Amino acid sequence: MDELDILKQDWKRQEASLPKLSYDDIYKMLWKRSSSIVKWIFIISIIELFLSTLLSIMFADKAYWDEMERLHLINFTYGFYIVSYAITFYFIYKFYRNYRKISTTDDASTLMKNILKTRRTVKIYIAYVLISTGFSAIIISYFSIKNHRATLQVEETAKYTFETIDWIKFIILGLIALAIFLTLIWLFYRLIYGILLRKLKRNYKELSKLEM
Amino acid sequence: MEKELEHRFVTNLEKHQNIVHKICRIYTNDQESHNDLFQEITIQLWKAFPKFRGDAKFSTWMYRVALNTAITLYRKSKRGIKTQDIDTVSFKIKADEYNDETEQQLKLMYTAVKQLNDIDKALVFLYLEDQSYKEISETLGITEVNARVKMNRVKTKLKSILNP
Repeated sequence: MDELDILKQDWKRQEASLPKLSYDDIYKMLWKRSSSIVKWIFIISIIELFLSTLLSIMFADKAYWDEMERLHLINFTYGFYIVSYAITFYFIYKFYRNYRKISTTDDASTLMKNILKTRRTVKIYIAYVLISTGFSAIIISYFSIKNHRATLQVEETAKYTFETIDWIKFIILGLIALAIFLTLIWLFYRLIYGILLRKLKRNYKELSKLEM
Repeated sequence: MEKELEHRFVTNLEKHQNIVHKICRIYTNDQESHNDLFQEITIQLWKAFPKFRGDAKFSTWMYRVALNTAITLYRKSKRGIKTQDIDTVSFKIKADEYNDETEQQLKLMYTAVKQLNDIDKALVFLYLEDQSYKEISETLGITEVNARVKMNRVKTKLKSILNP
């Protein structure tokens, strides 16, 4: 007889020492607030989706559109916004569908898989927003430089040189700002993953170790 | 209608609460965490209850939701473990029913089980609850062969904890 069988014999006897809750005790618990990670993942994901959508529309005021007009980027901007709204809606729809799939009545492996999938949707969306923001910043900067130079008077050579250095400074500062911004987002992500998903990921890996 | 559902749920849970308490004992180390986990499991069971079909046994359905909560949804609070609490939630062994050697062995076994990882604890729990390998594999979402392989590994792990 192995060790576990000795334990199994004692297991039934353990019931005598277990706490006993009354009907009322249990009834009261039904209305307590849950603190499950799924709830937190939902709240955090919604905040992230909202903030990143906000980021992509925040700068689009009238001055922005006028500027785009001046830079001959109006068609590009329209196209860019249509595509990015379509992509945003697609991600929100996907997030919602994945979230709805999370069910505690599934087996443990499916449940973990669905939670990780839901988080992954948001992660990819954030990456998409960051990349597309960077991409459009580069395009706009490029056209700003190009159109600016075209309208300059060549007679003021000194000013022209000064402006070029200014642009270089601008680009360097821009890159530094972008690097800081990305690092902060990365740290933010590490934090959320550390807090919420470390245990889940470890367990999922443990569970699927032999499932090849 | 809602009242009736509440009544049916609470009556069922009251009757089968031992299952939840046993899971709490395996997964937590102090009374406060035990109560916390019990409450979270109750909330999750209640949320899932409308989807519960009478054709499955309430207890079988409970194993799944309760273990899912303990393994996946529940976040251990970072509270320090109070030593005086540990004794109130650890497994009690009735000394008069065993000889010294068995009693010692049981104590070591329960301590060893507590040191296992979350998945291994679930395997041991379901095994102790007399669940078949088919049921274990369905609850955890792995194949039956895999459940057996994992169980054998747990047995080896326990042996090595007991005889270092």
